[in-house]
This record gives sequence, C-alpha cells and structure tokens, in this order.
Amino acid sequence: MLLVLSAEHRAHLGCLPRAGGAAVGELGRMALEQLRRGAAPRACESAARKLNITVDIIQHGVEGLVYLLTESSKLMISEVDFQDSINVLGFSDELNKSLLQLYLDNRKEIRSILGELAPRLPSYHSLEWRLDVQLASRSLRQQIKPAVTMKLHLNQNEDQTAQVLQTDPATLLHLIQQLEQALGEMKMNHCRRIVRNMK
Amino acid sequence: QRFRFCGDLDCPDWVLAEISTLAKISSVKLKLICAQVLRDLLGEAIEYDKILKLTSDAKLESGDVKATIAVLSFILSSAAKHNVDSESLSSELQQLGLPKAEHASGLCRSYEEKQSPLQDRLRACSLRLSQLGSVRWRVDYTLSSSELQEVNEPVVHLTFNVRDRECEKMTAVPVTLSANKFWVLLA
Repeated sequence: MLLVLSAEHRAHLGCLPRAGGAAVGELGRMALEQLRRGAAPRACESAARKLNITVDIIQHGVEGLVYLLTESSKLMISEVDFQDSINVLGFSDELNKSLLQLYLDNRKEIRSILGELAPRLPSYHSLEWRLDVQLASRSLRQQIKPAVTMKLHLNQNEDQTAQVLQTDPATLLHLIQQLEQALGEMKMNHCRRIVRNMK
Repeated sequence: QRFRFCGDLDCPDWVLAEISTLAKISSVKLKLICAQVLRDLLGEAIEYDKILKLTSDAKLESGDVKATIAVLSFILSSAAKHNVDSESLSSELQQLGLPKAEHASGLCRSYEEKQSPLQDRLRACSLRLSQLGSVRWRVDYTLSSSELQEVNEPVVHLTFNVRDRECEKMTAVPVTLSANKFWVLLA
C-alpha cells in the first residue's frame, strides 16, 4: 500500500536534502521526541541556529517527518512500499536509506504511542461498599430493611469520578447473577471459536 | 482450607506464594518492616528507603520488596477487618508455612499492639457519603414587609455546613423556616 504525499507535505520535506546527512539524523530525533512528548519550540530554534536554516523551515521539516512516520506506522506499510512512497520526493539514495532506517527502527514505538491515543470509556478504579440496616424512619418505627451502599470510583483520562449507588441485597444478588452469566458466555462454543481464530 | 483472617475464605494464591519470601527475611527485620507497614495503614507516611535498607540483606529484588509490603499489608488489614485475635492469626500463619519461633510471633505481637488503632482507622475510612460539620442558627423577628405592614413573626435561619468526603470541601446549605415549620422539624 503506497502513501500518497500531498504537495504541501512534499514541500515541507523538501528542506531535508538541503540540510545534509547529519542534520537529517538530528531532525529525525526531534521528530521522535515530538511524538513522545509534544512540540518543543526551543529545540527547533537551537537546531535552526546550528544548521543555519530558518526556524520555520526546521519546524515544517520536523512536522513533515512526524506525519510521514505516523502515517507509515499507522498503516504498517512494508519496506518496499515505504521506499516507493518516498521515491516520489526525488531524494538521494542515501537520504532514502536513512529515512527507511528511521521508519523501521521506530515503527513499534510509534504504534504503541498511537495505540494510546484511542478514546476511552470510563474504567474501573475501585469500589467501596457498606451494608446498612434501616431500623426506623420518621414515618415508620421498628423496621428491618437491609441496604447495600456502593461508591464506584471511575477513571477517565486521568479524571476521577465517583458514582454512588444503593440497592437491597436481593437486587445485588440478581446483579451478580447477571454478571456471572455474562462471564459464562465466554466459555460458550461461539466465543471460544472466535477467540481461537483471533489468536 | 478456610482461614479466619481471610474472612472464612480460602487464602489468596499470591499470599501463599509470598509467605516463602517473608521467611527469607530475618525475624528482627521483619518486625521493623511490619512497623513501617502499620504506619502506612494508619495513614502516616511510609519510609520506603528504610524498608529497602532492611531487605537488602536478604538480597530481595525490587519486585519482591513490593510483594513483601503488599502481603504484610493484606495480612494485617485483613486480620483487623475480621477482628482476629493475635493467637489465631499466629496459628493460621504457621499453617501457611511461616516459621513459628520468630517470624509469626513477632508479626502477631506487632499486630496485637496496633490492633485497636488499626480498627479505628479502618472504621473512619469506611464508606461515608457526607458528614455534617456544624450547624449555625439565628432567630429573627420580622416587624413588617412590603406585603403586610404588621407582620410580627419570628423566623429561623439555619446553615448546615456539610463536608463532602471526596474533596474535603465544606458546602454551606442555608435554610430559612417560619416558626411553625421549625416546630414541625423539631417534632
């Protein structure tokens, strides 16, 4: 599968042959840092001063590299396809080889970073519970009414929320039974077949 | 096999596995590590460096150190939760394979000293939705208003300061009641 590079993208990457071999290594490193930690304008400025090119061109070059690497890693394209895709840019063989090496070395790491960007539902953090018995209320004295109060702590993208729930023991048992049935579904033939085929 | 300190259930597999790690540490050091773990359970800061120093002799890896802390934490808090006395705890730990002479008895002595404070702390940590901090009140006497020239009615202002367990914030809930409503509230 070939990558199609837009004209703007090609223009941004066009600064790479001008920068020279060592600079390409530096720009590659900066692109990876940007993927790991986010944009670093100061690094761009110092690189621009070292290589004697304007900051804008350096920034475009780094962003172009980032986009090239993320798109290639996302689609998990093979070496041949990557080489064919960047051949369009008309770079020297040496530059093509270093770009390919950059892609192959870091593909796994980029894929794991991309994996974490998917949207997440709130996930379980912890559950506190309490068993109470209501003995009397304003309206009625001498009762016995058990109740289970739960506080469900959820995590969503570093946000902690808590949900308070209250139920009587019979409903709780029913809830547990339904959840056990859901877990039991995993052992049925249908699920087993799919899990076996996925492995 | 049922254990009282696990709430009359089977002992979890990971606890069984880590008992042998506990046996590797000398009993004196185990007692000191217990003291640190109890500090953590009682809400004071745990001094991890001290624990690392104490376990360095037994040549435990960092994973084993964390496992030791986890196992001691579980045993002590579980025993306090199910109100197990230190004799029963000692015999049950021996059944699990912790050597009696020093390890089990040392652990149980530390547990016995701190059993009540630990239970009080666990009681305080139990689920509680909100807590009434304080109540402030004021009684006013309305002379007249824009609606009626002679009102002459007492009015009660109450402010309930409620503390939310989660964010440790006090929210004030103001309530204003006429005299009759206030009598209904008190009745």
